[in-house]
Amino acid sequence: MKLSELAKVLRSKNAGPFLTTLDILFDADEPYQRVRDSGVLTKEYIAKLYGIRPEEVLGIYSVDAARGIKITIPKPVGMACGDPEGRDLFGAQQHIPLLDIEVP
Amino acid sequence: MTEEVRILAATCTGHYLFPEESWGRGLSWNPDAIVAQGTTSDCGPSYLGLDAPYRGYAGIVHGLRTIILSAKRKGIPFILSTGTPGGGNRQLERSLGWVDEIAKEANVRLRIAVIPGELDKEYLKQKIRTGSKIRRLIDTSGLPEYLSEEDIDKSERIAAQMGPEPIMEALDLDVDGVITGRALDVGLHMALPLKRGLDKALAAHMAKTIECGGLVLEPMIFDSVFAVLRKDHFLVRPTSPSAKCTTVSVVSHSFYERADPNREENPGGVLDISDAKYEQYDEQTVKVSGSRWIPRPYTLKVEGVRLAGYRTIAICGIRDERMISCIDSFLEDTRRYTEEKLRPLKPNEDYTLIFRAYGKNGVLGEAEPIKQTKSHELGLIIEGVATEEAVADDVCEAAEYFVLHMPYPGRLSTAANVACPYSPMEYGMGPVYVYHIWHLLELDDPCEPFKIEVREFPRGK
Repeated sequence: MKLSELAKVLRSKNAGPFLTTLDILFDADEPYQRVRDSGVLTKEYIAKLYGIRPEEVLGIYSVDAARGIKITIPKPVGMACGDPEGRDLFGAQQHIPLLDIEVP
Repeated sequence: MTEEVRILAATCTGHYLFPEESWGRGLSWNPDAIVAQGTTSDCGPSYLGLDAPYRGYAGIVHGLRTIILSAKRKGIPFILSTGTPGGGNRQLERSLGWVDEIAKEANVRLRIAVIPGELDKEYLKQKIRTGSKIRRLIDTSGLPEYLSEEDIDKSERIAAQMGPEPIMEALDLDVDGVITGRALDVGLHMALPLKRGLDKALAAHMAKTIECGGLVLEPMIFDSVFAVLRKDHFLVRPTSPSAKCTTVSVVSHSFYERADPNREENPGGVLDISDAKYEQYDEQTVKVSGSRWIPRPYTLKVEGVRLAGYRTIAICGIRDERMISCIDSFLEDTRRYTEEKLRPLKPNEDYTLIFRAYGKNGVLGEAEPIKQTKSHELGLIIEGVATEEAVADDVCEAAEYFVLHMPYPGRLSTAANVACPYSPMEYGMGPVYVYHIWHLLELDDPCEPFKIEVREFPRGK
């Protein structure tokens, strides 16, 4: 199943001008635990998806009380909030690569 | 120590509604203060660089009027940040001009503690000279690791996110309220609880929960929220009857725009909410407890911007599918012609030419997984950026000419290639700023860089 079919909220936003944070929130325990325990969301996989190195992924967090997973990554150099060639001031459309992730 | 502190939390960025029903309910619950944030760095460095406002301001005036007059009538303080959005001094003064009009219109006298949020460059340089190491908050090549006097000189404007401490001091000055420039949003909400001796961790967690008003609600609405902070917990609820706080809505809000959902660095400590407990207290209210505060040396976040150049853009639309099918090679050709025409200027040294093809990959750029667009029309932004404004104009104008007239394989429409919606076709976007200071200044006295001014409104003639 695709991540976009399991999540209730799948969003991206700046966490300050130099970081993008990706939130995946669920409205039930089952899909949340399924994604959390699937082993799909690794630093290696996220790095590949966003064209960065695995050690650059700042964190992948699961918060059971929120039924939520958060991933924080740096914005590419020259793409910080407000940079001349930047495309996404708020980092609001950077969740797109996550939508079609296949979750076993 | 007080038993509890009750806060009515709105925002005064100009975007919130203040529906009479919910605002009236919030006031009827006897708040000890009305608190609202009105500054942000979210909208990018250029607002701070230009010290420019959002273009619309009616909403900001409405927010200031509603909050200030409601608080005055209740005899409680208002605590708000303004100078929307960057928090520069000129925008702060603009807001204070509206406060003056509000006081005149309503025929009320206001005594307000004003705390500007810009930092004096000389003050910061003096800190460096006397041994302060001002380190970057994020490890990125876009920021110098430690701030130098040269970086400070290069900066157009520097603001600091003041913490709760100057506000606490200002509340002691027998004022109707406190108005700050750039400030830490949670600091505004923490000031009164800390002054009354309540727990710092819970105060910070409450502040974090209510700082964006209705964003913590289910459904999210553009309205105020109400919080009660007690010795060992806080309660949060909407003022509106048509929304609620749920444990999930409250916990999820801790995700919002934060790098780490469990720990948040604040001036003087880290708020750790990894073991916090969330309970549904009643249908609309959530009770939170168990937050922790880990003390750290006091740091002030400093934000500064420098001029990166000037930008000129042109906007046009492409409807001919023959052109869309070869848009990549068409834009490559256009770039080559433009570079040729602009010689001896060097691309990526003397100027940057940017094409944004919306409908193709304008949003994600190279990361766009769909390589062949299925759209029957594209929106194209042609953009020149250069240190000199005249060069930015030349880049944009030259590229636009080639976009209009250059041939492509299979072209039938030999008169011109694209539809331009506006005349003039090029728009000078003015200076472009980038963040080059996003640093932490260690301080022994959190109030040291800030000057509190008590001002009376309406102003005398």
